[in-house]
Amino acid sequence: MLVLAVLALAAAGCGGEDDATTGDTGAATATTDAATTAAETPETPTEPTAGAEETTTGPTTEAEDTGDGQAAPADCDGLSVGIAGPFTGDAASIGQEQLNWARFALERFNADNGTNFALVEADTQLDPAQATTVAQQFVSNGDILAVVGPAGSQEAEAVGPIFEPDNLAYIGMSATRTSLTGGDYPTFFRVVPNDDAQGPTDATYMVDELGAQNVFIIDDQTSYSTGLADIVQPLLEEAGVTVTRDSVPQDQTDFSALVSRISDDTDIVFLPWQLAASAQLFSQQMEEQGKTATIFGSDGLFSPDDFSAEGAYVSSFAPDITALPEQAELVEAYTEQYGEFGTFGPPTYAATQVALTAVLAACEAGDVSREAVLEQVGDVTITDSILGAPLTFDANGDVEGAQFYIFRIEGGEYVLVE
Amino acid sequence: MEFFVQQLVNGLTLGSVYALIALGYSMVYGILKLLNFAHGEVYMVGAFIGYGVLTMAGGAADPVLPAAVLVPLMFLAAMIGSGLLGVAIERFAYRPLRDAPRIAPLISAVGVSFFLQAAALLLFTARIRNYDTPELIPFSVGVEVGPLRISLVRILVIVTAVVLMVALTLLVSRTRLGKAMRATAYDREAAAMMGIDTDRVIAATFFIGSVLAGAAGVMIGLVFSRVFHFMGFLAGLKGFTAAVVGGIGNIPGAMVGGLLIGLAEAYAAAYLSSRFSELVVFTILIGVMLVRPSGLFGTPALQKV
Amino acid sequence: MTKIGTDEWVAQVGERTEAYRGLTAPVRRTWNGIPLGWRFAAAMLLVALLPVATDSSYVVRVGVNAFLFGLLALGLNVVVGYAGLLDLGYIAFYGFGAYTYALLSSDQIGVHLPAELTLIVVVALTAGLGYVLGLPSRRLLGDYLAIVTLFFGQVFVQLAIHLDRLSLPWADGPVNVTGGPNGIVGIDPIRLVGVTFSSVTDYFYLLLVAFVALAVGLHRLTASRTGRAWRALREDPLAAEQMGLPVNRLKLLAFAVGGAVAGFAGAVFAAVQVGVFPQNFETLLLIMIYAAVILGGAGSLPGVAIGAAVIAVFPEVLRTPDYARLIFYGVVLGGLVALLRPWSRLAAVLAGTVVLGFVVRFATAAAWPDAAAVAPGGLVARALGAWVATPPNATTVGNVAFVLLVPAVLAVTRLRGPARTWALPTVLYLAAFVWETRLVAEPSVTRQLVLGAILVVMMTARPQGLLGTPRVEML
Repeated sequence: MLVLAVLALAAAGCGGEDDATTGDTGAATATTDAATTAAETPETPTEPTAGAEETTTGPTTEAEDTGDGQAAPADCDGLSVGIAGPFTGDAASIGQEQLNWARFALERFNADNGTNFALVEADTQLDPAQATTVAQQFVSNGDILAVVGPAGSQEAEAVGPIFEPDNLAYIGMSATRTSLTGGDYPTFFRVVPNDDAQGPTDATYMVDELGAQNVFIIDDQTSYSTGLADIVQPLLEEAGVTVTRDSVPQDQTDFSALVSRISDDTDIVFLPWQLAASAQLFSQQMEEQGKTATIFGSDGLFSPDDFSAEGAYVSSFAPDITALPEQAELVEAYTEQYGEFGTFGPPTYAATQVALTAVLAACEAGDVSREAVLEQVGDVTITDSILGAPLTFDANGDVEGAQFYIFRIEGGEYVLVE
Repeated sequence: MEFFVQQLVNGLTLGSVYALIALGYSMVYGILKLLNFAHGEVYMVGAFIGYGVLTMAGGAADPVLPAAVLVPLMFLAAMIGSGLLGVAIERFAYRPLRDAPRIAPLISAVGVSFFLQAAALLLFTARIRNYDTPELIPFSVGVEVGPLRISLVRILVIVTAVVLMVALTLLVSRTRLGKAMRATAYDREAAAMMGIDTDRVIAATFFIGSVLAGAAGVMIGLVFSRVFHFMGFLAGLKGFTAAVVGGIGNIPGAMVGGLLIGLAEAYAAAYLSSRFSELVVFTILIGVMLVRPSGLFGTPALQKV
Repeated sequence: MTKIGTDEWVAQVGERTEAYRGLTAPVRRTWNGIPLGWRFAAAMLLVALLPVATDSSYVVRVGVNAFLFGLLALGLNVVVGYAGLLDLGYIAFYGFGAYTYALLSSDQIGVHLPAELTLIVVVALTAGLGYVLGLPSRRLLGDYLAIVTLFFGQVFVQLAIHLDRLSLPWADGPVNVTGGPNGIVGIDPIRLVGVTFSSVTDYFYLLLVAFVALAVGLHRLTASRTGRAWRALREDPLAAEQMGLPVNRLKLLAFAVGGAVAGFAGAVFAAVQVGVFPQNFETLLLIMIYAAVILGGAGSLPGVAIGAAVIAVFPEVLRTPDYARLIFYGVVLGGLVALLRPWSRLAAVLAGTVVLGFVVRFATAAAWPDAAAVAPGGLVARALGAWVATPPNATTVGNVAFVLLVPAVLAVTRLRGPARTWALPTVLYLAAFVWETRLVAEPSVTRQLVLGAILVVMMTARPQGLLGTPRVEML
């Protein structure tokens, strides 16, 4: 029995993942012979170019030449990008996915560009106090020229005053609080749209397409969730929909009691949650109790492996990355190395890509400083971003052209409906 | 009316799990006067072992064995695995601190808790694992009581919990080991002088408590599907509360305490608001504590002068 | 320490001089010969040089964290170490202090009081809160008090999260008091007597002064009648009551003092972070404060201070993989040196481990061609990379090795004599293998792993804490 238990533990550990690593594990050696210089038009850091500077590095369709991309200039040696996220603690399921995608992005970038950038990882456990300590660590580390994260909106707010004096750019991949790009945090960028973009999309769809008359909104008491719910609720009410609002702690084990309060008139249950697995449980309990309302989830629920309730709707800021043919190779490479993923990973890939691209551009231009990188981040354009649309930032740091896509789950598959 | 009964079922399911965890806390406290904060992690490991067995058997959708064989196997593996883990924890983290100030084992327990959580993260990654129970035992299989339908899974959980609790009560009251446990709990030195091997009795207590926690882990996996590295911390807190409310050190008290908390959580969420279910539960507990400071079943501690 | 009676002092002289043995004896003797006050001043002077010695704001920030921990630990020490009351809701005072300061110094309710006033108000209010929360302690004993105080701690966090929609009868709409899950941002820095504390270094010195003041104050309190009364209460509450001590008042006083200290620390914390959020006050932080107190030795002021420093600094050191590796190998080697006598045995074990490593590498060279290039990093890392066998699928092999390692280590602590000497090289190699293969790839998880292991090892090795007095509980 003991043997069985040990085997079971081991089996659970490798359940569903193939651990074969593809190729060398990012052992891109730095070609320090500065024979080749960058092909881009050099610019002096003090004059920002009008219009976007094109730095079109990034994963394109076919697996391009790995390892023999242009040699990085000698300045680029030893630089790194920091990443802060909840890698342990109760939000680790989110943080570890983000971390894995960041590592993945780093490997590919180094392989494609012949650089030897490094990633400095720091665990914040979603606590702003730890985030500020970590931020100090990044600021004090002269090699770090840009930061990916932190994950939570509160953390992003807390670290802003620390990064600002040093002009250290930080690119958020999951902090969606609208006020972050309201001007108080000049070094903050984010690759995902903020709550103001998603709320109206969801509300409009619910009213216009689904004809909802009675909606039950349940938030999970996080900043993301309450923010989104607070935007959607008045929009629905304006449209004449009856709205019931409740909230449940994120770590709640059992939703049965809450589910049993869903009345039969309820058309839609809106779940702006972060943990897709919880929503799956919720839907199972709805089924168990014979509730017929449709579940409508926000982008936090976009996770084909975790949330697959039949007939549910999920909104997302990107077209389904697993369905895009251009990204198939990338997705396959990631899944082989790290396993399945949900909605938090791809934005982290994009954010890391932005950071690395900006650092590379800065050191190719000869100015290896945080101010230069900050400017580069502001000007960067990634044409074939993993998120399906060209990625560039507006003046506030928000990603331009944010659009939300609505999916419907049919037969376990996410089908784009709008 | 059926709404009320529905909540009763919900509450009993949840309460059974809390009761099993609370029993582990109470038993260990009764014998060692120790608050075993690592107990929640033992429960988490039990849930993972159950998941492991499920995965080895091909997963919930397409298992190699029929559900009727697979589920007891999961329980058995988890219970034994957790039991052994509990014994190991006692042996290495608590035994050296037997005679230390009472507060020292708390930190040792916290250390064990950190270690096990991190080990779970390392071995299983942070992904939330799913038992996918409806694939194994569909919701349609169940018992109809009027307009109410109670799924088989919940019945299974409640019945198993009851069986385990009855078994425990019989063990403690009828067997020699039970008698030894009661004696050691009453006065460890005297029990040792009477020829009882206290070390073995204590190890047995940890084993039994952890076995129950392991069973609770599998139950949670079956009913609530989500298994992840942090679940022990949260459930441990509730279990600890239940144990104290029932009178810590008291076995029937732990059972009643657990059921009370489960029911309170269900009814509060159903009739008041899910938002404040935690607060309501705690308020009820405080009320109980203020009325009976030693818990529901606890005997007021006699102070020897 | 006040001398209770000259006889006791004289009687202990022999004990004091005899205890100093070994290489460091002269140093220890001189050090302990210096009166406590001077020793404390010397230590604090050294600490005060920290911002000068380093130009990394990170290090100073860790120092700030350490001081915050120190203040909290001192306060908790009063409640737990002196009065013997198990308060699991201590974090609520910290949070209350932080939020009160935030409310009085930000745009949340539009009040911006001067810091002199705010700090006094915060301390007073938190002391009052401590008094109120201490009221149940009169009737509840031991672990029941623990659960009630735990409840208060949870309630505080819940209130912080939910009080952003408070419906007041005289207000138009729901009032946002605590900012909900988003917390309160934009908090004013502390401005005392014209000096604005804005940088990390400024707060470092502010906290240093506060810490010194508090330590001195608590020291005098300990030596006073109240301190003795608390200790009597801790040792035996019934006897204390019989001797006429006002037990209830003492308990409430302990809560109030502990609360006041935490409130002050919370206010400074709010200013340092320029914001307060509910996530700052989770149970994990409470556990760390308790760890600080107990590791240092509950009831001993210097012990608690050192415990706080360790708890604040250690996890930060473990963040950097290189340092974590150094600590890991350092601890393992240190443990071997301490436990293996004579030297020949130690040398044999180490040699055996090294040889075993090369043997394994040779044996697996066929099965595992070196997939990765030599590990980047310093000399130590590269040497280790050359010595330890590197499997291609590091994750799976590493996991299996880890699962084998833990029982192996536990088993080897149970072995004695030659069996242990023979088993050690294998276990040591396995440990190095697991570290290099798996653990070094996951720094954040490893950090928690090592922290947990260290807590267990430290408590089992020295249950009374670093500077606590060994005590035996009679049940």
